[in-house]
Amino acid sequence: MKNFYSLFKKDCQMMIAGKFIFVAFGSLLIYTLFINFGYINFMDMQLYNVYLYDPQGTQQEVSELIRPVASLEELDDALLADTNGVGIDASSGTPNIILYFGSEKVDNHRADYALSLLRSGDEYAAQIVGTNTTEQKQRKEMSCELLFIEIVAVGFLGIASVLFKEKQMGVIRVHAVLPLKRSLFVLSKLAVFLLSDLVFAVLLTLFNVGFSGTIRILPAVLVQTAILSLIMALTGFGCTMLLNDFKQFSLAYLVIALFVATPIFLSANTSIKMAWIGWHPFYQVYMGLKNAYFGTPVTSPVYYICTACGIAALFVVVQTAFRKEMGKEG
Amino acid sequence: MRGLIYQLKSVWKDKFCIMSFLLPIIVAVVLRFVGTIDLSSLGELHFGALENNLSAETISWLERYGSVTIYKTLEELTASINEPSTDLIGVETDGNGIKTMVAGDELDIYRQVADTLPALYAERENAEQINVSILERHDVLAGMQNIFIAMTLIVAMFMGCTFNAMNMISEKENCVDLVNQILPMTYSQYVIQKIFIGFVFGCLSAVMTACICFQLSLQSTFLMLLLIILSAFVAALIGLFIGKFSENLMVGVVYVKVVMIVFMAVPLLSYLLGANGLVLILCYFVPSNATFEGVMNLANSTDPIIAKDMLILMAHCIVWFLLYLLISKRRKKNV
Repeated sequence: MKNFYSLFKKDCQMMIAGKFIFVAFGSLLIYTLFINFGYINFMDMQLYNVYLYDPQGTQQEVSELIRPVASLEELDDALLADTNGVGIDASSGTPNIILYFGSEKVDNHRADYALSLLRSGDEYAAQIVGTNTTEQKQRKEMSCELLFIEIVAVGFLGIASVLFKEKQMGVIRVHAVLPLKRSLFVLSKLAVFLLSDLVFAVLLTLFNVGFSGTIRILPAVLVQTAILSLIMALTGFGCTMLLNDFKQFSLAYLVIALFVATPIFLSANTSIKMAWIGWHPFYQVYMGLKNAYFGTPVTSPVYYICTACGIAALFVVVQTAFRKEMGKEG
Repeated sequence: MRGLIYQLKSVWKDKFCIMSFLLPIIVAVVLRFVGTIDLSSLGELHFGALENNLSAETISWLERYGSVTIYKTLEELTASINEPSTDLIGVETDGNGIKTMVAGDELDIYRQVADTLPALYAERENAEQINVSILERHDVLAGMQNIFIAMTLIVAMFMGCTFNAMNMISEKENCVDLVNQILPMTYSQYVIQKIFIGFVFGCLSAVMTACICFQLSLQSTFLMLLLIILSAFVAALIGLFIGKFSENLMVGVVYVKVVMIVFMAVPLLSYLLGANGLVLILCYFVPSNATFEGVMNLANSTDPIIAKDMLILMAHCIVWFLLYLLISKRRKKNV
């Protein structure tokens, strides 16, 4: 235990020396600024505007949502500037709908919606079955995505750069002559990265979801963060052992960042669903994290058994590679 | 000329350069041939209903607006409505009409759709008789695909940046840099050779990507070629800067990544969010913004106007080049 502590201390010093902490802190700052001042302000989408040209006043009970225009030219200009808008030309007495092509089904809805505004009926509000408001959802969604990006992309790069430095300096081979248990080296590194990711997750969630929201979801979020963090740290470790230099690693990194993350973000955030995405291991972990953020943590034991097995398998691979690396003559 | 051959040789040995050259071409092939991702479901509305709850007529009415998914139990339906990645609207029978359910965390647009849906249902017979004229416009979804293509093209054009940066850094690491200084070669020759390599490969990669992705008219092809040449030149210059300022490979890789992200994110955000005024002017300080705008213009319209983008790119070429010369001179004096 004492040995582990001294190794752990050395690894912490190494992280600080490698400016790893600064990168993490900088990204935390940028993410927080982005969520609080950018994202939740940008994401605002209203239903289509409806413009009415009705010189004779044939339409009596129009809704307040309709914007009247004074001439046909003005109607054209309004539609050109706002191609999602819908125009109603009632100059002939019966309303004619004019709109720019969007897609077939959406156009049906736009036309019918515009028409319904000509008769202001009773106000109806849809029943709300969820517990989050739009802003809460956006904050949780973005925090979850940024946490995922930080661990998979930014943190991963940091881990690799720190480890490659050690490898280049020959520190790993020095370990071979130390009278310590071999697995301790790997464990202490993992502990450092795990701890830093957990701290990052806590801070990011606190700053962006708010205190009361965080308390409720934090345990579940931390469990998922730990799973993801262990997988990424072990992968980074494995890459360091198996690849020759940082240059080769940056290629592997490109592949991971581009081809691993993109399909997940497409499926998880939009309604595009690819049939094979369920087999993507990172997708499952990402959804685990997302569900944790939304207060419905994964309960299926299969998921936890699979991730535990995956982490164990990675650990064995890394351990073997680590021994091999130590055994090499310098 | 001999120097150029050596430069080519050193690039050829560098797998990183070769990979970064091929990457955009591979992505272009994927975009073009494997079939693009079906984006058409993005703009549609999604409804969910309970089994045996809505009449067949209501379901086909809903299907005029979007897709309808049937759920067995109310719990499943509620869970789907609450699922954060979709904006499902739940629909149930309510006497003669319908009632709707939403999660409450959607964007306003979906809540408004849900609020007005029962009124639309009540009016459905009147709506059928109305005259609707639909005006042509460019397919929004095709525009989305053009964004993907334009992004790939930018990556291809700015490959020259990676080329030069990686090439120069590995020279630094292998101390070829010091050897170069005592070779009978002037600094300007060296710079020209370096720019040339990055420029040519950036151009080649971009031209191949453009050939795979676009079918353009003769005039547009010419304009596209000009855009590619200018952008590739700027990229090669930026590569020189990165090569100059990064002392080792790790720092270089980080710089390249940051520049890449900035080059991709700025035009994308300014396009999607419709930047204007001062923000737009600031965006033009990133050269890829003009490139992106030019490419989108070429892809979207039959009569493209890209003179402004060309001028901005030319200004970038000149300013960056002069800046580089200035910095190198200053450094030389210090040595």
